[in-house]
Amino acid sequence: MGSVAKDVLTVIFGLTGVLFFIGGTVGLLRCPDLYSRLHPATKCDTVGSCSITIALALQIGLDIALFKIMVVILLLLVTSASSGHAIGRSAFKTGVMPWHKKGVVPWPLKGEDRWTGR
Amino acid sequence: MKLKAMSRTVRETIPLALFLFFLWLIFTEKTNWEHLLLGAIVAALFARISFFMVGGRLDPNLNWKVALRFFPFAALLSWEIMKASWDVLTRVFRPSLPISPRIIEFDSILDSDIAKTMLANSITLTPGTVTVEIEGKRFYVHCLAQEHESGLLEGKLERMVAWLFAEGPDDMRGLR
Repeated sequence: MGSVAKDVLTVIFGLTGVLFFIGGTVGLLRCPDLYSRLHPATKCDTVGSCSITIALALQIGLDIALFKIMVVILLLLVTSASSGHAIGRSAFKTGVMPWHKKGVVPWPLKGEDRWTGR
Repeated sequence: MKLKAMSRTVRETIPLALFLFFLWLIFTEKTNWEHLLLGAIVAALFARISFFMVGGRLDPNLNWKVALRFFPFAALLSWEIMKASWDVLTRVFRPSLPISPRIIEFDSILDSDIAKTMLANSITLTPGTVTVEIEGKRFYVHCLAQEHESGLLEGKLERMVAWLFAEGPDDMRGLR
């Protein structure tokens, strides 16, 4: 691969990462409650950082540092999902009510008493 | 008896120590003997300590078959993750903010802890869904919109994980 093509790909991946990061931040600011804020925070940021690390990997080329980047991507995938789950779980356990649109039952099956008892 | 128990401990610690040593090699990028020796000592020490803390043994459900299957699984999952992120991204940027979140419950077909963990993590990473709690086999998932709920209840991800760990009812193990 020519070095120009490599640079172009790097820029594309980097810009994609930036776009997803902006989306994550906008989502974090626009969403109404804790649970829905978890969605942009866990997903967009994961893809954004993976995309930026891929851009870095392209610039590095075949090197032992490539393995480092791969380990970093794996860790990012595992930790962002786990931390998002941890935040959601603690909110769920302490009885934080999810925001919902009018007419939508936030929790359809059972467990209304879980929150009305408070 | 005591010697036997000890050798078992050592046998179960060695894979972890080797793995840690491999990570050390990647992160230091050095091959002179001082670094190798230090890495070996640190890897052995930490494998030993974590053996005391969490039992050290790998989950019995993890074997080389799972390791081989993990690569196609990871490829499929990354595709799902990219679709998910694009979906959330477009929702977030639209001025009307088309979301209608709620929590849904469903019972998983998966048994082992590692499979359930994998499923929960995959759910969290894919379309507008975040696992908030697991009680036994019951999953509580926060969904961002109606489409995500139906996508989740179709159980594609669950089938993928069932295939990865060769678990659950036979007819659910296929990758469709």
